[in-house]
Amino acid sequence: MRVVIAEDAGLLREGLTQMLTERGHEVCAAVADAEALLAAVKEHRPDVAVVDIRMPPTHTDEGLRAALQLRADHPDTGVLVFSQYIETRYASRLLAGNASGVGYLLKDRVADVAEFADALERVASGGTALDPEVVSQLLGASRRSPGLASLTPRERDVLSLMAEGRSNAGIAAGLVVSGGAVEKHVASIFAKLGLPPSEGDNRRVLAVLRYLGS
Amino acid sequence: MLGDNEAMTTAPGELVRAALRAPLTRRARREFCYCLAGLVPGVVGFWLIMTLLFAGAGLTVTLAGAFPGLLVLALTLRLARRVGELHRWLARRLLTGEFAAPPPFRPARGLLRRLDTRLRDGAGWRAVAYVALKVPVSLLELYAASFWVSGLFNMAFPLWWSQFRSHPANVHLAPFPVITPLPGVDFRVATAPGTLAAFMLGAATLLAAPWLTRAVTAGDRWLIHSLLGPARLAQRVRELEESRAHAVDDAAAALRQVERDLHDGAQVRLAALAMGLGMAKEKLGENGQPVDVTRVRELVESAHSSAKEALVELRDLARGIHPPVLDAGLADALATLAARSIIPVDLTADIGERPTPAIETIAYFCAAELLANAAKHSNANRVFVDVAQRGETLRLRVTDDGVGGADPARGSGLPGLVQRVRTVDGRLDLSSPEGGPTVVTIELPLRA
Repeated sequence: MRVVIAEDAGLLREGLTQMLTERGHEVCAAVADAEALLAAVKEHRPDVAVVDIRMPPTHTDEGLRAALQLRADHPDTGVLVFSQYIETRYASRLLAGNASGVGYLLKDRVADVAEFADALERVASGGTALDPEVVSQLLGASRRSPGLASLTPRERDVLSLMAEGRSNAGIAAGLVVSGGAVEKHVASIFAKLGLPPSEGDNRRVLAVLRYLGS
Repeated sequence: MLGDNEAMTTAPGELVRAALRAPLTRRARREFCYCLAGLVPGVVGFWLIMTLLFAGAGLTVTLAGAFPGLLVLALTLRLARRVGELHRWLARRLLTGEFAAPPPFRPARGLLRRLDTRLRDGAGWRAVAYVALKVPVSLLELYAASFWVSGLFNMAFPLWWSQFRSHPANVHLAPFPVITPLPGVDFRVATAPGTLAAFMLGAATLLAAPWLTRAVTAGDRWLIHSLLGPARLAQRVRELEESRAHAVDDAAAALRQVERDLHDGAQVRLAALAMGLGMAKEKLGENGQPVDVTRVRELVESAHSSAKEALVELRDLARGIHPPVLDAGLADALATLAARSIIPVDLTADIGERPTPAIETIAYFCAAELLANAAKHSNANRVFVDVAQRGETLRLRVTDDGVGGADPARGSGLPGLVQRVRTVDGRLDLSSPEGGPTVVTIELPLRA
């Protein structure tokens, strides 16, 4: 996997580079601001870019804006936005009708190295990786609570993992159940929430998020 | 005892010198100019405003002309504000001190309501009062200014006497009148020694002139303050509005800074630390796998140092929010601050009655900022910090023996301090001539 990193804190930039290199990925460029990020992606055409939201000069949302531009200019490059806070508004701007090759994670997630790398690989190969925090915020704020209330606790777990962008196999591994059991839960969730069955993990994510967000 | 004697002999000397120098000071010259400059606008303004005022009032009382009359009155009040502005401008240019403007007129919508608010414009009516009073004041000012002219004129007697008054012995010339400051006093000079008396009178007049102009302009200044300035309550409200805005901005900026410091400091270190430990955990592998001890050691070491740095950053940040030592009192807190200063600090503290925590905090952060300023800009070898409580006031004075020339306009953080001090009705005085020393005095009320 070929990666470009944009992160203004040198300590984290180096840590990420080291971690990804050790796992056998190639870090083409590690830059500190949005402009350099756009240039680096244009030059290296990586599989995925890791983008910090707050970067110089204004330290507000330059990373997010750069990520949106990357999504428009280089649809083949996955974009994993990571930040110290989760804003559901940012998540919806990032997804905006297309959940393929996009991720939004808390910076804390780098602590679980394997999971972070897993999410990054998912985004690089066109999948979705949403932070559990985004999903739980959406679940907490959802006005469709009657539908949600009809779910069993296990189904809620499956729903959360689904919204994070995991495949059935990923969900099965996460909950330590069989693939068949996950399929049954998913079918039941879609039936209970009245969602049309969706093909593919990304469409599924969008369907679930749209349900939660509406 | 010797010291006392010296003091006794120098004090009158100083007084005499000051009295002799008074007519030569810049302040005296400017006050003289002010006395003359206000005359024409004073008289013209009086004539204009009074004509309009009486015309407007006269029209208003006749039933048919009531509306135009009110319009004329409104125009009068508007013009009075303008004339007042001119007088205030003159005062600001020539007299020392601040001359604040009244709050601007806020017109209402619609002709009638606009007219109504204009006619009830207190600042406009007060300006009319000033314009009315300015004429007698102008005359007094003219009289005071005449002291300068007559003084100089009389002092010139001995110079030109011999030029014009040398005449044959049998010719009798009428005695030449000397200008006296008191009208009605007839004083004529007929002989050369008499010119000396005229000179003495002139000198005395000239010496008295600056004090007279000062007294008259002081009266005028008082009138400007009370009639052309903002009403006292309005001024207080404006000050409070300003200081409240500063306090709110200050608090918001401080919180934003704390967030920034956390985001860029401790949070980054902790994230890096967590990642390092995560990597180390992976390297340790499952049970039975060979372990890359060297790499794990590296990762743990860097995580360890990240953790220590995060601790330091968090401690500094917490201290920046509220120094715990401040709980033990301002004197202790300042002593700690002094001990940490790069430049040696001499601290004297005399605080009998403890100020409220808000005041202590402000005093502490002012002292911290001033010490940091001294370290950054002053080149000083020593700083003196003196904090004393006198009655209801806490005074903090920070003096350094550095190069001086501290300029509030040049990013020294001083304007921020002034604003902070103002939020509790305190004041900050700065004296920093080129070459030093720099003395900053802050006075705070004991309770906020």
